[in-house]
Parts: sequence; structure tokens; C-alpha cells
Amino acid sequence: MVQRLDLLDPAEVARLGGIEIVAEGVVEGFLAGMHRSPFRGFSVEFTEHRAYQAGDELKYLDWRMLGRSDRLFVKQFEEETNLRSMVLVDASRSMAWQGSPERLTKRAYADRLAAALALILLRQRDATGLVTFDEQVRQLIPARVKAGQWTRIVRGLLDTPDGQGTAAHAALQRLTALLARRGMVVLISDLLFDRELALAALRYLRHRGHQVVVFHLMDPAEIELSGPPEVRFKDPESAVSVVVRPRELARAYADTVRREIAAWRKACRRHGIAYHHVQTNMPFGLALRLLT
Amino acid sequence: MSFLHPLALLGLAAAAIPALLHLLQRRIPPQVDFPPVRYLSAAERESARRLKLRHLLLLILRTALIVAIVVAAARPLVPLRGGGAHQPTAAVLILDNSPSSGAIVDGAAVLERLRVAARSSIARTTSADRVWLMLCDGVLRGGSREAVLATIDSTRPGWLRLDLVQAIERAARMVNAQPVVGREVHVLSDLQRTALASGQAVVPGGVRVLALAPGRGPSNRGIAGVTVSEGAAVIELSGAMLDSGGTPLPVPVTIRIGAGPNRGEIAARGLATPGRERSGGATRAAVTVSLPAQSLAPGWWVGEAALEPDELRADDHRPFAWRVAPPARAMATPRAGSFVAAALAVLQAGRHIIDGRDVVISGGDLPSSPHAIVQPPDDPALIGQVNRALASRGVPWRWGPLSTPGVLTSSERAGLNGVAVVRRYRIEGGGSGEAGAGDVLATVNGEPWLVRSGSVVLLGSRLDTAWTALPAAPGFVPFVDALVNRIVMGEAGVSVAEGAPHVEFRTRGTDTTGATVFGPDARESDLTPATTALVTAALGGKDRTSVLSADRFAAEGFSGTRRADASGILVLLALVLAAAELGVATRTR
Repeated sequence: MVQRLDLLDPAEVARLGGIEIVAEGVVEGFLAGMHRSPFRGFSVEFTEHRAYQAGDELKYLDWRMLGRSDRLFVKQFEEETNLRSMVLVDASRSMAWQGSPERLTKRAYADRLAAALALILLRQRDATGLVTFDEQVRQLIPARVKAGQWTRIVRGLLDTPDGQGTAAHAALQRLTALLARRGMVVLISDLLFDRELALAALRYLRHRGHQVVVFHLMDPAEIELSGPPEVRFKDPESAVSVVVRPRELARAYADTVRREIAAWRKACRRHGIAYHHVQTNMPFGLALRLLT
Repeated sequence: MSFLHPLALLGLAAAAIPALLHLLQRRIPPQVDFPPVRYLSAAERESARRLKLRHLLLLILRTALIVAIVVAAARPLVPLRGGGAHQPTAAVLILDNSPSSGAIVDGAAVLERLRVAARSSIARTTSADRVWLMLCDGVLRGGSREAVLATIDSTRPGWLRLDLVQAIERAARMVNAQPVVGREVHVLSDLQRTALASGQAVVPGGVRVLALAPGRGPSNRGIAGVTVSEGAAVIELSGAMLDSGGTPLPVPVTIRIGAGPNRGEIAARGLATPGRERSGGATRAAVTVSLPAQSLAPGWWVGEAALEPDELRADDHRPFAWRVAPPARAMATPRAGSFVAAALAVLQAGRHIIDGRDVVISGGDLPSSPHAIVQPPDDPALIGQVNRALASRGVPWRWGPLSTPGVLTSSERAGLNGVAVVRRYRIEGGGSGEAGAGDVLATVNGEPWLVRSGSVVLLGSRLDTAWTALPAAPGFVPFVDALVNRIVMGEAGVSVAEGAPHVEFRTRGTDTTGATVFGPDARESDLTPATTALVTAALGGKDRTSVLSADRFAAEGFSGTRRADASGILVLLALVLAAAELGVATRTR
């Protein structure tokens, strides 16, 4: 029985091989499940009509033609090849954290998700690029559609070490200068930085006509606080630490996290930014499906 | 509150464990990387106050839990108010039936009120209790509950004064010696302030003294004493009747004398005027009434002084006795000295004596008269001669060597007390036992100074200012009068004793030598009750003594041992605390 890698546990899938193998497997499974390009409709243009055949989706039926000629035609689309997509991967130190050895680190999950997303986009003949950043931009692979682009993107992901702090605002500002043409920007990050500054940059991209998608990546252990009776939690980026008793603070912490997610979601919606909350135990296929 | 296992209270030290654990747990906690610390900080800021309160609450709950468990293990016994059976108790009921208890207050005798309270106390006893009854005679009467109750019912006002301080001490010692749980002394008395004047009772710890609060103390006056001398009776009164302005009223006094068919004859009347206020707050008045001594035949006479009836009848009359005798035929030898001769001259002029040889006062020699008063000789060389003469006459006393100076002490002659003696011979010998002791009429430094043997009286010093200050004292002539008219005659005088009013005569052979006049103690006439503070202080202190109204007295009696084991409640409390601790500890918000 053939298993669809896009629906398996990310950690198990990751054990099958490197990023390339995993991403290809995920994409194959993902596309097989979708039957068609998942991004049709925003990245393709109309070309011609053809006669309706049984099995065609009714949403592509041309009702105007039906009204004029009383004949059933469906619309045919031609994939656009000049869509420019940039995948932004947060490579800060906080992304290198995993709540359990049984799970991927946020960075590993983000790399594989970014690779799969890039592969899908490239297969749609969209020009796709990559930016990795922490306090500064670490890797910048301009959006191209030529052969070997996906390999370069994968290489760029692999060559980006775990960083220190996070300066998404600066990285996003630099990205605005690089994206002259309208396109899609996908940010994969744990969003552990100043929300207002990051939103200002994302709003600017949106203002320039870009379609902005945010993947808010979190480890499940970051949502439900647990640990020994008393523990000093230390921020790996800022070295700020706090001593807490997880059992006492769990409920308040969960409330705080929920409020933070809700705040991101609300702010993104207000500015026309697609926001998706993803946990690192979510199968890659489900995460990718969020984009459709 | 007491404990069955007080040593378990040492476990209270464990109450410090939660606080110690809190301090000891301040070790360095393990450090863990956790990226969303900013969320933690925000959550902690929001919950800081709640968490502090929670920690404090937990500390309190855990400490209280340990305290509750430890105290429960110590088996605390808490007193119960009202209801419930008491544990075996030893109790002494002091029912003060002294003369003052016969006073009528608000239409009823004080004793009746005390008796009701005593019955109430007895009614609450159980078969496991040990109960004694003490009346004004100070005797502890034990027995069954019914026997004690019968004694209470048959008790009438007595004639003896009850010193409450001493009574409380005796009662407290008695109950304290009993191997029972409870120890109580119930004081049922009118609590006269004069009954508490002998200091403060020592009451052992663990003995409760419950005193019934006194009622109203009415005004009263009584006859404190009657003294007959020189043909007149001096009647001393105690207490006072006050007019509406608070001024003491004059008191009419009636004297009745006589015996046999003439008994009850009114001899004289007088009006006693109240005297000045004394330090104790009591007023004293005295009246002197002349007695028709010249018309009375020689012998012992009995009389009675009486007042008009008032609230306390026991002290409204008092008997007295005196002896009517013809003047002695007395003289002094030349060696008796000038002071003796002068005194006899005064007595002869006053017709207290007449010249004769029935009584001879000598100085260094032993006269052959029927009655002889012998002083030591001036010349020490004559001591042996006189001693031999005394011995040949059968007198067991003799003069010894010169002894130390001192002051006179005499229970027979109050006027001699305190008079200085600078030179004296020690009087030796005498009879043995009580008879010999009874012949010693005055002492110096504990050694005989004035002794009597039959019709012979010996003095340790010459009646001369070179030997003693007595000849220069105001009481010298009365002393010589007493010597020649009574002492040498073997008369013992009139003494006063406490008891039902009557007179008892003392006899020697066929002769009446003295009398004892019985009557109530004069302090019984002062019905003023003591203050609560005084009662509390005198009867054991506020830690042990309670002065209670009739209602509270009934409620408090035997309540000292009405105790319940509170360990069950404490265990329940501990369970509640444990549940609360569990709830707070597991509550995450």
C-alpha cells in the first residue's frame, strides 16, 4: 500500500531522507490528492473554451455562454509563468528548538515546508526564490523559474545555520526592495519578535500589491506549558530567563498564547494578510492545504 | 484547656516544616531553553498577585494542618459550659453559719439564702464525687450526699466566728489531696469583710474556689464586750445605726443583773453615744453604767447587757460576771518598800482594803499570815534563807540567780504587758505540768516573774523603781489592788470566750476562782460585705477564685471538669484543611 507522505507525521517523514526526498514525496502525495494545481485561480489566466464533458467541475462552466448559445462550455486556463514567489524562512535561534525529541525542530519543519512549497510553485512554473534570515538576511536566492532553481533553494536552506536573534522587520524591509514585481510572499516563522514592527513591513508588502501569507509555526510544547515543579526557562535568543512553576502558570500561559495567536490572526486579517497557525506535529500536506 | 497527652505538643515544632521547606526549596532550579519566554513573562505578570496569595494561603493551610494534627494528637480537653456530666470531683462546701448568718435581710435569714445555694451544689453532685461540709466550727464533715444534705438542712446559725481565709486553706488542702480530676471549694458565706482580715489564703493550683456573691449588708450594732470594774460596767458597742443623714444614732443599753429569783431585774440603763470612725470603717461606742455593788452580797454575780432588737439578734445581748468581795485586810512589812506602802495607803483611803494581817506584803521574809505576797530580799545573801522558808511552807517555787532584764508579759493582767524589768531573780521550781504552768501569772523573757502557790505569791523583782518600772506606771495601784484582793486569794478573774452567750464558773475545791463569759465574736457584728476584689485576693487570687451571682454560681459549680475531648473536631478540621490545601494546590488558575 502506497502511503502519502504529505499526511504522515512530519517527524516520521523526515526520517525517510533529506529535504529533497521529503519535499518531493510530500509534493507528489499532495498533488495526487489535489488532482490539479492547487493554486489555480490565482496564478493562471483564461485561454479558451471547450465542450463540457462528464466529470468536469461545474465551477468552470461558462454560464454566460450557456445563456447565449444554450450549449455547455467549460473555461480552459493557461498556467501563468511570470508569478514571482518568495519564501521567507525564519532561521533565528528560537527556530532551532523542539519541545520533544520525537518532533522536528521548528527550523527543520520550516525548511521542509518551504522546500515543498517551492517545489509546487516551481512545478507551476512560477518564479520562486528564498530568503532566510535571523538578525540579518542570511541567504537570498532570487526568484527564478529555470531548471535547478529548486536545488538552489534546497541548498540555500541547508547552508543557512541557526542564527541568533530575530530581526524580521529588517529582513522584510530588505525584501521589499528586491520584489519589484507583484507576487506572493510566504513567511514561515515562529513570530517571536515585535509584532508591530513585523506587521509594518508586511503591511508595506501588501501595499505594494503582494499577496502575503504567514505561517505561524509553533511547537506543541509552546502551547501547553509543562515541565518539572520549578524550572528556569531561558530565552535562547535574548538570554532572558524566568523562574516559574509550570503547573501553577500553565493556564495563564495557555491563555496568553491564545491571545497572542488571536492578536496575530486579527491583525493579519485587518490588513489582508493570510495567517495560518501551524504546529510542528501537523502533517505537511495539511499545512500546504491551508494555502488552497 | 488541658491535654491528655501534653508531650505530643512537642510536635508543634513541625509546624515550621512548611516554612522551612519553602526556604529550603529556594535552590537553583534546572534551566531549560524555552523560546516563548516573552509569553511566560506576560503570563507571570498577570498572575503574580494571585500566585503570591496562593502561596501564602498554601503556607497557612499547611501550617494549620500540622498544628491541627499535633494538637489533636495531644487530646485537648476543652471546658463545656452548662450541660453534660462532670468528671469525679472532690468538693468542700463551706457553709458559713457564723452568728452573722442569722441576720435578717429582706425578710429572710442570710443562712437560708446560703442554704439554698448549698443544696443546689449538692444536687449537682454524682455518686463519683466526694463532698465535705464545713460549718463555722471548721470541722470537715464527710459522708453520703444524703447525709450532707441532711446536715445542711439542720444547720442553724452558730456562735463561732469562721475565719474564711483559714477555712479556705484547709478545704483546699483537703480537696487537693484527693485522687480525682476536679477539685472545688464552694464558699457559701455572707463574706463579711472582717472574716477576710487574716491575710490571703494559699490555694494549690488546680483547686477552684467558687464564692457566692454576698447580698446586701444591713446596718447593725451589737455589744462587743462588757467589762466590770470599780463598781461600774463598761459596755462597748460595735457597728452603728445611722439616721437618714448618715449620722450614728445614740443607742439605749439596758443592764440586767441578778441571779435566782432576782434574775432579770433591771439594774441600770444608759445611752451609748457612737464614737469616732475607726480605721476599719467600723464605729465603736461605749457606755459606762454604775452597778449597785454596795448593795450586793459578796460573791459572784452575773449580769446581762442588752440592746433593742435589730436585724442581727445574736449580738444584741451579752452576759457578764463579776465578783463582789469585802475589802481585804492587808498590810506591808517594813522591808516591802516605800512604793508598796504608798500603794496600800491609797487603797486603804479608797476603801479597797482595810488594815489587817490577812494579807501581808513582805520583802525578803516569809510572813506567817494566811496570805503572803513575797518580794525578793534586797540582800542576795538572804535568798537562801527565804527559799528554805518557802520550801518549809510547801511552796514549790524558789528564787534562783539574777537573770537578764526584759519586759513583762501577762495574759492575766493586761496592764503589766510591756513594763520594763531591769533587775530580777529567776524564779525556779514550781509544779510540773499544767498545774505548775497555771500558777505562772507573768513572765519576763519567757521565765516566770509572778507566780502563785496556794496562798503565797512570789515576785521576781522588788516593787521598786531600781528593779522595775512598774511602781512608776499608772497601773501600779490597780496591780497592787489585784494582788491583795484577788490574786493572792487564788481568784483567776473573768475571761472571755467565743460561744453561745452564757457564763461558766471555774472552781477549785469548793471555792469559785473565776468565770468565763461566752458570747459571739465582736467582729460578727460588722455585717459589711467585702468587695469582690478583696474576696478574690483573700481566697486564692483571681486565677483560682471566682465570686459569682446565684445564677452563675449554680452554673459554674462542678463545671471545671465538664470537659470534652476536642481531638475529633480537630481531626475533622485537619481533614477540611487537607481538602482545602489539596484544592488550592491542584487549582491551576
